[in-house]
Amino acid sequence: MNMLSRLHFFTVLLCFMTWLPAPALAAPPRGYDFLAFDKALNKSAAEQKPMLLYFGRYGCTTCRKMHQEVFTDPALREELSSDFILAYVDTESGKRIRLPNGERTTEMAFAARNRILGTPTFIYFSTEQKPLFKRAGFQSIEQMKRYDEYVASGHYKNQTLKAFLGQS
Amino acid sequence: MKTLTCTLLLGMLIQPAAAGWKFDHKTSIGPAQRPGVFHHLEGAGRKHIAVSDGTIAAIWEDDHSSDPQVFVAIKNPRDQQFSAMQMVSSGEEAYEPAITALGKRRFALAWEQDGAVYMRSFSNGQAGKPLLLSEHSASHVSLASSGEDFYAVWRQQQQRNWRLIVARLKINDTGTLSLLTRHPLEDRQYQHPVLYPSIAANSSGIMLAWEDRESGHTRLKYSFSDDKAGSFSSPQNLNEFFSNRNQYDKGSGVTRVSLAPFGEDEFIAAWMDKRRGGVGYGIYTAIGSEGSFGPNEKAHGEKGDQLPHYNPSTAGNRAGKFAVAWDDFRMGNADVWITTYNEDDEWSEDQSPAVASGSGEQAYPSIALDEHNNLHLIWLQRSSPDAPTRLWYSKGRFD
Repeated sequence: MNMLSRLHFFTVLLCFMTWLPAPALAAPPRGYDFLAFDKALNKSAAEQKPMLLYFGRYGCTTCRKMHQEVFTDPALREELSSDFILAYVDTESGKRIRLPNGERTTEMAFAARNRILGTPTFIYFSTEQKPLFKRAGFQSIEQMKRYDEYVASGHYKNQTLKAFLGQS
Repeated sequence: MKTLTCTLLLGMLIQPAAAGWKFDHKTSIGPAQRPGVFHHLEGAGRKHIAVSDGTIAAIWEDDHSSDPQVFVAIKNPRDQQFSAMQMVSSGEEAYEPAITALGKRRFALAWEQDGAVYMRSFSNGQAGKPLLLSEHSASHVSLASSGEDFYAVWRQQQQRNWRLIVARLKINDTGTLSLLTRHPLEDRQYQHPVLYPSIAANSSGIMLAWEDRESGHTRLKYSFSDDKAGSFSSPQNLNEFFSNRNQYDKGSGVTRVSLAPFGEDEFIAAWMDKRRGGVGYGIYTAIGSEGSFGPNEKAHGEKGDQLPHYNPSTAGNRAGKFAVAWDDFRMGNADVWITTYNEDDEWSEDQSPAVASGSGEQAYPSIALDEHNNLHLIWLQRSSPDAPTRLWYSKGRFD
C-alpha cells in the first residue's frame, strides 16, 4: 500500500468513524473500565481500593471537553485505572442501582440525593468507601493527577487536600 | 392624619389572605413505613394519581413483598381512607407505573414488567385481565384519556433501534380492554434512545412529548395528532436551547417532561431544564394549543432561582385550571412546591403545602385536578435520605 493509498484508507476510516453513531447511552470516556455505582462500591470494598465516582450527563459540554482533552492522556488513563475503582453515574438516567441501605433507586435520583448541581462532578472515596472530597467542573490533566496522588498515596490520612495542593 | 393612618392600618388588617392552595390533612396510602421498604413514584410523565367521578386512584411501585411490584389503591368519595392496596403486576419485577381516569369510576393502569409493557383496567375495586401492550423490549409507558378514548405511549427497543409506540384502546362494560390501534409514532427508527414520553389528550387531539438524544444532547420533542392517533405531526422542539460556548457545546440539558390537558383544547408541559448553568435544573413550562406550543416560561419563582428543582408533575381540568408541582430543597430538605397561573396569566408565587413540607424529605409529587378545581396530591416522605419511605395523599382547594 503506497502512501497515497494509505492516506485514502485512513481518510475513509475516519469518515466511517465519524459517521458511526455515538454510544447509545450517556457514557463515560472510552478506554476506562467505569462500572455502575453499586458494582464499583462492592468492588472497592472487596479490593480495598479507593473509588472515583464520576457524575456525567448525556450531552454535557464540559464532560465532552474532558473526554477529548483530559481522559485521552495515556499516563492519566494508566494511573486512574490502576489506582481506583471507577464508577460512573449518568445524572439523567433511569438506570436502576442498589444503595448500601438496600434501597433500589435510579442514577438520576442518586445524583439528586447527592445534590449534584452540574456535570462533570467527581467524588473521591477512601479505601473504606468514605467520601473524601468533591470537585465540580473542568479539571485539567495535572489536577486529576494531583487528586490521584493525594488519594492513592494515602496523603488524605494526614493532611487536607488544600494543604496537599498548596505544597506543589 | 390620624384618620388616614387608622384607615391604612385597618385596610391592612382586613386585607384578605393571599390566594393559594389550602390542603386537607394528609392520608397514608399503601404499606406502613418499615425498614427496607421503599416506594417509588417515577413513571414517565409522572401520572400516579387520577380522579374519576370522585373516586381517587393512586398507583406506585414498592418492594414490601421483596421484589419491586406495582400496587394500586382507591378512595371513594365517602371514604376517609384509601382502600387496601392491590398488586396489579405479576412478573418478577415491575416498575414505573402510570394511571389515567376513564370515567364512571374506572381507570386504566400500565407499567413495565420484566422488560415489557402491560395494562389493566381497574373498576369497582377489581383489576381486569392484564393486556400485553408491547411487542419487543419496552418501558417508559404513559397514559391519557379523553371522553371514551384512551391512549398509551411507550418506548420500544428492537436490537439497536428505538421507537415510540402509540396505542389507542377501548374498555367495554365488563372492564375488558381492547387494543384498537398500535403503531410507531414515526416510520423511522432511532439509533439513539428515545426516553420518558408523556401523553395528554383532550377534544382537540393527542399531544406527545419525549426526550430525544439524536442531536448529541437531550432535546424535548413534541408531536400532535388530531385523528385519534391515526397520524402524528412531524416532531418539533419543545425546549429552547442554546449552544454557542465552544465546539463541545450542543445545548443545555433537559429531562423528564410531564404533559397535561386543560380547558377544551390546551396543554401544559413542564420539565427540568439546565439552561441556568451551574445551579442545577429549573422547572420550565410551555402552553400549547392547536398542535403547537408557545414560548418557554420559567415556572418557579426567584426564591428558588439558585438551586435545583426536580420531578415536575402537571395537572389540568376542563374548567381551564392547571398546576405544576415539583420538589426542591430551598428550605434545607426536599419539600413539595406548587404553582399555577394567577389572574394576570403569570406564574403565581411558589407554594409549599404544609402537609408536604417541614422536617424530613417530601418529594416526588404527582398531581391531578378534578372538575371542581380540587388538586389531588400524592408524594413520598422520609425522615432522612436513607430512611424508609411513606406514601401520602392530600386534597387541596384554591382559595
